[in-house]
Amino acid sequence: MYNGLHGYRLSGIARSMLVIHSAVLFGGACASRESASSGENAFRVALLTPGPITDQAWNSSAYQGLERIRDSLGAEISHIQTKTPAEFEENFRQYGAQGYALVIGHGFEFQDAAQRVGPEYPKTMYVTTGGTGVGPNIAALSFAFDEPSYLAGMAAAAVSKTGVLGTIGGTELPPVTASFTAFAAGARAVRPDISVLGAFIGNWDDAGAGKEQALAQIARRADVIFQNADAAGLGVFQAVRESKGVWIIGANADQNGVAPTVTLGSVVIDLPHAFLLVAREVKAGAFSPRIVRLDTSSDVVRWVPNPAVAVLPAATTARIDSTRARFARHQLTLPTGPTP
Amino acid sequence: MDALVALWDGAFGSSYAFWSATLVRATPLVLVGLAVALAFRAGVLNIGAEGQLIAGAIAATALAQWLGAMPRIVTVTAMALGGMMAGAAWAGIAATLRRRYGVLEVISSLMLNFIALALLSWVVRGPLQEPTGIYPQSSTIAASARWPFLLQGQRLHLGFALGLLLATVSRFWLARTASGFRVRVVGAGARAAASAGGVDVARTTFAVFLVSGACAGLAGASEVGGVTWALYEGISPGYGYTAIAVALLARLDPRWVVVSAVFFGALEAGAAAMQRDAGVPAVIAQVFVALTILGVLAGAHVRDRVRARRIVARPEAA
Repeated sequence: MYNGLHGYRLSGIARSMLVIHSAVLFGGACASRESASSGENAFRVALLTPGPITDQAWNSSAYQGLERIRDSLGAEISHIQTKTPAEFEENFRQYGAQGYALVIGHGFEFQDAAQRVGPEYPKTMYVTTGGTGVGPNIAALSFAFDEPSYLAGMAAAAVSKTGVLGTIGGTELPPVTASFTAFAAGARAVRPDISVLGAFIGNWDDAGAGKEQALAQIARRADVIFQNADAAGLGVFQAVRESKGVWIIGANADQNGVAPTVTLGSVVIDLPHAFLLVAREVKAGAFSPRIVRLDTSSDVVRWVPNPAVAVLPAATTARIDSTRARFARHQLTLPTGPTP
Repeated sequence: MDALVALWDGAFGSSYAFWSATLVRATPLVLVGLAVALAFRAGVLNIGAEGQLIAGAIAATALAQWLGAMPRIVTVTAMALGGMMAGAAWAGIAATLRRRYGVLEVISSLMLNFIALALLSWVVRGPLQEPTGIYPQSSTIAASARWPFLLQGQRLHLGFALGLLLATVSRFWLARTASGFRVRVVGAGARAAASAGGVDVARTTFAVFLVSGACAGLAGASEVGGVTWALYEGISPGYGYTAIAVALLARLDPRWVVVSAVFFGALEAGAAAMQRDAGVPAVIAQVFVALTILGVLAGAHVRDRVRARRIVARPEAA
C-alpha cells in the first residue's frame, strides 16, 4: 500500500504550479524591495515583527516607523514577520551577514536573539523594542506606556456609568500587565470605588476570541474596555461596536479611526518617532548603545482622546492635563515594578 | 522573478542557507514527521504531536537547568532521553484513554495539545521562569547543555543526525522485524490482524502510540538543546501540525519523511528570504508555501491515478 515515492515525477503538475506561482508572485514583485537609494554603502535598516503589519496597532505602527526611516533618511528597508525564537535568531543572523546597519526586533522577546547574534556581527546595531539587554552593538527601546495608560484610566472612570471597567490583553506580557495596573490606578484616582475586570485572550491574532472576551465583560456590566491585543483586539472593537453604551480605548497605535463613534481615545506609542530618533543617531554613527527610555516628557507615549466624540467632562480633561504635566516633569512616577 | 530567486537562494543559495537555515528548520519536522508516520502506519491517528513536542521541550529544559554543570555527554543524553520519555508520557495519556475507555485519539490527543500549551505558559511563568521573574521564558541553558553542532561554522546540530538515525531505524523496524510487521498489519486492517493473524491489536497500537510520542518529545528536546537554548512560549510554530503534512507527503515512509521534511524546511527558509530580500509580504509568502505543497500533493495524486489506470489496462505490468 505504501510503496514510497519511487520514480516520483510531476513534470506536468510542476509546470502548472509554476504558472500559479508566477501569478502569486506578481503581486509580490510589485512590492519588491523598496529602496530610496541603493548600492554597496546604502544605509540599510531591517525590522522584525512578531505579528502581521495589518493589525492597526503594535506591528503596523512599527512598519510605519520603518517607512519613515526610509523616507526621511533615504534608507534601504526590509521587513519580515517572524514567529518563533528560532526564526528571530536566524533572521538576525541573515541581516547581520548582509551588512544591515540597524536591525530592529519589535518586542522584548527578541532580546535573547540579539544577545546571541550581536557579538557575531559587530557592525550591525541590534535594537529591541522593550527588553533590558545592552551590549557594544545591542540596545533597547523602553517606553513608559504605563503613564498614558494611567491617564486613560482617569478618562474611563469619568465616563463610566456602571462603575465597571474592563481590560483585555493578548498574552500576559510584562509591559501589558504594567499598563493595565496603571490603568486601574488611574481609574481609582478619579473614582475609588470603581472595579476593573481583567482578561487575556491567550494570543494576539484571534479576533473571534477577542470579541468573546469583550462580550463576556460587557455582560458583566463593563462599559469602558481598554484593549491591548493587536490583531485580536480588532474583535474587541467589533464587540463594542455591536453593543450599546460601551466605550473602547485603543492601544499602541492611534486607533481612534478604527471605530470612531465608540472609541474614547487611544494610548499611543509614537513608534515612527522613536524609530527615527534611533535610526538618525545610528546613521550619523553617534548612537551609543543603551536603554533608550522614552516617556511622557518626550511625547513618544501619550494619551490621545478621540476628537470625534466629546464626552469627557471639562473638569476631567483639565485633571488629566495636569497629571500629564506632572508625568512630563517627573513629579509623578508609577510603581509599576520592573517594566521593560 | 526577484522573489523566486530569493526563494531559491534562501533555501539552497549558499552553504549557510542550506546547512543553517533549511536543514535546521527541517530537523524538528523530520522527528515529528517520523512520530506521525509511525503512528499513522499502525492506524493510530496521533494528531497530538504538538503537545508531545512541548512536553519534551519542557522536560529537556528542566533537566538542562538541573544538570547544568555536568559534562556535556551526560546533559545532552539526559535531555534527549528525558524529552523522549516526556513525549511518550504525554502520548501515554491519550493512548491509555484509547485502550481503557475507547476514547478516540483524534479528539484526546488534539485536546492534550491545548493542555500542553497551557502547561508551557505556566512553567515559563512559574517553576522554570528566568530569575528576574519579568519575562515569560526560562533562563538560557548552560553551555554544557547545548547540543553540539555537526559542521564547523554552521548551525546544524545533533538533532538532525538523530533524525536520520531514527528514520533508518524505523525503516528497518517496519520492514524487517516481526513487531514492525505487526504494526503494518494492524494499520492495514486491525480486525483481520486480530482474527486471522492473532495479533494483540490493543497492545501494538498502545506501544506505537508511545514510540510516536517519544519521537515528538525528542523533537522538543532537540529544539531547546540545538536551537533556542531556552524555553519560550512560542517555541513551536505548529510543528506538530505541519508534520502531518510532512508524513502524508512521504506516504508514511520513514525514508521519505526525511526528504519531505527537508522540502518543507527549504520552503520555509525560502519563504523567509522572500520576505527579507524581495520584499514579498508575509501573507503572500505563506500562500506561496501552501500552493507549493498543494501542487506537490496533487501531483502525487495524479501520478497514482495514472499508474492505477495503467495497471488496470495491462494487468501483467503490475
